[in-house]
Amino acid sequence: MKLLTNIAPVKITLTVLAVVMLSLPNWVGAQVLVPSGSFHSVMPEVKGEPVAVNSFYMDTTAVTNKEYSEFLQDHEDWQPGNVPSIFAYKGYLKSWENTNSDEVVNPDEPVTSVSWYAANAYCQSVGGRLPTLNEWEYSAQLMDFDSSADAREFANRLMSWYSTFDSENVGDVGSTGIENRYGVKDQFGLIMEWVQDFKPVIANDLSLDCGTVGRMQKLGNAYSYAASIRYITRMSFSPKSTNSTVGFRCAYDVETIEEKEASL
Amino acid sequence: MKKIFLIILLLFTATSLVAQHNHNHSADNTLDVKEIDSEHSIYHLDAKWTGHRGGTVTLDDFKGQPVIVVMFYGNCTDVCPILIQDAWRLYSSVDESVREDINVLAVSFDTENDTPEVLNEYAKYEQLDIPGWHFMTADDADVRTLAMMLGVQYSKKSDGHFAHSNLVTVLDEKGRIAHRVEGLNQPMDEVKGTIELIMDRLNK
Repeated sequence: MKLLTNIAPVKITLTVLAVVMLSLPNWVGAQVLVPSGSFHSVMPEVKGEPVAVNSFYMDTTAVTNKEYSEFLQDHEDWQPGNVPSIFAYKGYLKSWENTNSDEVVNPDEPVTSVSWYAANAYCQSVGGRLPTLNEWEYSAQLMDFDSSADAREFANRLMSWYSTFDSENVGDVGSTGIENRYGVKDQFGLIMEWVQDFKPVIANDLSLDCGTVGRMQKLGNAYSYAASIRYITRMSFSPKSTNSTVGFRCAYDVETIEEKEASL
Repeated sequence: MKKIFLIILLLFTATSLVAQHNHNHSADNTLDVKEIDSEHSIYHLDAKWTGHRGGTVTLDDFKGQPVIVVMFYGNCTDVCPILIQDAWRLYSSVDESVREDINVLAVSFDTENDTPEVLNEYAKYEQLDIPGWHFMTADDADVRTLAMMLGVQYSKKSDGHFAHSNLVTVLDEKGRIAHRVEGLNQPMDEVKGTIELIMDRLNK
């Protein structure tokens, strides 16, 4: 008897919780607050001055094939075949044979082969936006390492990931085991991701070449190598690019999330 | 594995070429203008825009006639007035008989501050609250999309100002990019010629 009375309230709480969670739209719980702060950009123009970033919310994982297929159900304009060539190259969703969300292949893997325009439209449809380049890079650097040896090992792992990247065998989202201290996962080790302003402002003065990588690596933190590869790769993108290595996640203004939570 | 490395090497080569190509710019806040594809219509973007007179329009409301587009922001007191004046120089250089067929879209990327009311004041201040001129804004994502389509780069800085490209674009009657004028205070003869060619074609 005593046991039952102990268990009963727990059961109720869990049921209520489950009902509440089921009744909430998808986006609740799928993103976390990344508090404001600053980070040292690997870009040479910054000259040691940290880049300030305001608080924002970000998806904990990249948008999955399943989530993207649900978007396609509601937005026929973005189905392959309907997208005007001004918004995407021919490679758009090239491996997709079926856009029906029940039959989508590898539902929990991140969607790739999507153009910037498509990623931007998806995030807009869920009340968010693409993260800015600075937001994304800032979040990526918010990892905790137990020791400098751990940080070095992490840097080495990244180096081998970037040199052996296999777009045929992308894992599920959340599978890398890499996450920042607020729970944002897979910013390294899964795919490249679109950001709002993927060609950074200083890009004009900058010759991005092997020298740049060398210069960036001299910064000597665990992220320098990965970041330099990302900055350089992004420079070669067009907003119509549909690479099998590039997906995205969405970010949200703090006010947007607060207003939505208040209205529930 | 080797493949990836080769690709990265290729990227280095390609991007350093691009970077060299872009060296000829001066002012700190000026972004170079990106290459864009003029084969396709901007009017594929079906976003809703709010004008400084309060109404809502979509871009293809302007189809059938040439359109001049500039992207700017209201709090920009140094270069943007020049950019707007550049658009005016172009507009006013066209023969008066065809001017009424041309629309000018001045699109703000400061979606936070440039409400329709602010844009209205801006239009009046610039003495450009005149028929055919539309100061407008939209959702962040839509403004960003238009900028990508035109090849305008902009980026908000921590002081609230924007680094941005200075670009005047002329769209033809189908919304395809017909001419782009990069930089401030450029000569307008050639682009004026483009507008006249479009008008001649339409009036045949």
